[in-house]
Amino acid sequence: MSLPNTFLTALRGLAANKLRAALTALGIIIGVASVIATLALGNGARAAVEASFRHLGSDELQIDAKKAIEDGVLVPYGEPLTYEDGLHMPASVDLVDRVDMSVLGKSKARRGRIVLDTTVTGLTADAPMSLIAGRQVQPVEWTDDQPLSISDLFAGGRFFGADEALADANVCVLGQQIAEDLFEGDDPLGEMILVNRQRCVVIGVLAELEAVDPQLRHRVQVNEVLIMPIGAAISNLYDEPPPISITAHVVDESEMQAAKTQISAYLRQRHEIEQDDEGEWQDDFSLTTKREILGARQEAAQTFSLLLIALAVVSLVVGGIGIMNVMLVSVTERTREVGIRLAIGARQRDVVAQFLLEAVLLSAAGGLLGIALGALAIPLAAAVNQGQALLDPGSVPLSFGVALLTGIAFGLYPAVRAARLDPVEALRHA
Amino acid sequence: MSAAGGAVRAEACAWVIETEGLARSYLMGSNQVRALQGVDLRIAPGEFVAVTGPSGSGKSTLMHLLGCLETPTAGRLCLEGRDVSTLSGDERARIRSTRIGFVFQTFNLVGRLSALDNVTLPLLYQGRVPDARERAAAALKRVGLRERFDHRPAELSGGECQRVAIARALVTEPAIILADEPTGNLDTQTGADIMRLLSQLNGEGRTLLAVTHSGQVAACAGRILYMRDGRFVPAPAENGEGADTQRGRLAVGGGESNVPA
Repeated sequence: MSLPNTFLTALRGLAANKLRAALTALGIIIGVASVIATLALGNGARAAVEASFRHLGSDELQIDAKKAIEDGVLVPYGEPLTYEDGLHMPASVDLVDRVDMSVLGKSKARRGRIVLDTTVTGLTADAPMSLIAGRQVQPVEWTDDQPLSISDLFAGGRFFGADEALADANVCVLGQQIAEDLFEGDDPLGEMILVNRQRCVVIGVLAELEAVDPQLRHRVQVNEVLIMPIGAAISNLYDEPPPISITAHVVDESEMQAAKTQISAYLRQRHEIEQDDEGEWQDDFSLTTKREILGARQEAAQTFSLLLIALAVVSLVVGGIGIMNVMLVSVTERTREVGIRLAIGARQRDVVAQFLLEAVLLSAAGGLLGIALGALAIPLAAAVNQGQALLDPGSVPLSFGVALLTGIAFGLYPAVRAARLDPVEALRHA
Repeated sequence: MSAAGGAVRAEACAWVIETEGLARSYLMGSNQVRALQGVDLRIAPGEFVAVTGPSGSGKSTLMHLLGCLETPTAGRLCLEGRDVSTLSGDERARIRSTRIGFVFQTFNLVGRLSALDNVTLPLLYQGRVPDARERAAAALKRVGLRERFDHRPAELSGGECQRVAIARALVTEPAIILADEPTGNLDTQTGADIMRLLSQLNGEGRTLLAVTHSGQVAACAGRILYMRDGRFVPAPAENGEGADTQRGRLAVGGGESNVPA
């Protein structure tokens, strides 16, 4: 029998029992949909991790205060990293040529009768350079291939310089939204505002910016920042030295390991860290390079995909057993029909093709519907996973292919069994 | 021996069916049941042969062997001069597809398919037949079904179903049509109609073999063969149809006298 006719015959076979076909396909639909959705979750998480470390250049070391878990809560372990730790690092560590630091604090910003609750960001003077190097933010509707300079980030004014930063000058740079809210159309440049009762001069206003990564756009309010020199921010907002984030720029990328050793020695001395009985340093900080993060992430992603593949195999095997079960019932029900077909000239392979194609059509339809359902479920998965779900393009051909293979693998036995029926016996079948 | 066989084959095209010592036995548990115990039969083109006998006499087995649904355990079966007793499954399927037409007591139509689709089916198994539906429609018209081509078997009467089944057997232009109790599930009147149709087809030169209990069917045949215990036997005396007995015997021996001119 020609392929189109076999196809038609198989379709008719399925159409004879629509509900049963739909229920059988459901197993595959759910299997494929869950594969698509879980892979999207994994893909979303991966993209988020990548985005959160995107700013880390290959010549950079991220220094974090170590945290311990106490009663299920993360608490500082040892001393926090301070502004001074960072401030003296370039002078004390040969292989570090500069340091970016940042601190965040809640504060009120006031101009006249207008009062805003804001988050104050304390930064070092080179922060805009790192922002641009890391391609974290860009003016809205910026085309990717255009080179970005610091002045592109500003609607007016400038960022503070190194001298102002070191002098803890009370100057600030406003995000586009904050400037709008505080000044309602007036020119903010050179004007005075109150940040937590401290008078600050507005020296710059940022252009309307957005996160480069579309996934982060709704989470990072880049237009609501109020930036001050980090020293000024600390003395303005805090009574005690607050924990800060430090990123060290290494003189030479190839000396990363040596730089780590030097930084460790520098911080151990400052934090008065000792060795335990076995000679292990009881560090209260951790040093991370981009390469280490990527390596760890890849490892995690690999474990994750192995887990998902196992999940996919299990769910599709269950779906496949459903197909096999239904096809076996179908063959038994249609024993007489098989007898008739054999009597009027069907070869064994015609019967195999008919039943196998039915199974494959079931699994293919289940695969397609499952992909559609999985894709539809991604926004839902994103909603319960903090926006972190992104369709993995590879998961579509993968899951469809596995669904097809499932149909072939589990449809073959019932089909062969049908074809091997003795025509005389089959014709006698009730 | 093989030379002799070759000689037989060369001239054997005169026979649609020719068997020599055709036998078939089954294993039922540990018992060997000898359903057919060496049957010699020759059927010439255009003949209408009825095979009759009690249940279990081997007539169904004979039909299944002649129709290549089963393989003989011994003996030889030639179809149009070709020895088909040792063919592979695919080759036998090819013979069933192109040279044999079956008509069953219970019609054996595919319930999901319309009358027209049922008749088209054998042509589909032949591969590419471009005018399959036209040929199927012509076959349906030939058996007297003028409309209701798109009706399913369940929507047709028994007589109509058997007409569809006969059309399905006809549509491939087979060498022989094998009918198994073709009127067994029909009332007398409808049965007579079907037999009239089969006789007409035979009159047009089609070779027919019918397995039957029914005198009505046998009466239409040009030749009647009696079976008992897996062999052809003379007609039972109480029938009082000596002529038939004579014809049956002749058939076993060759049946030349009954071959229509």
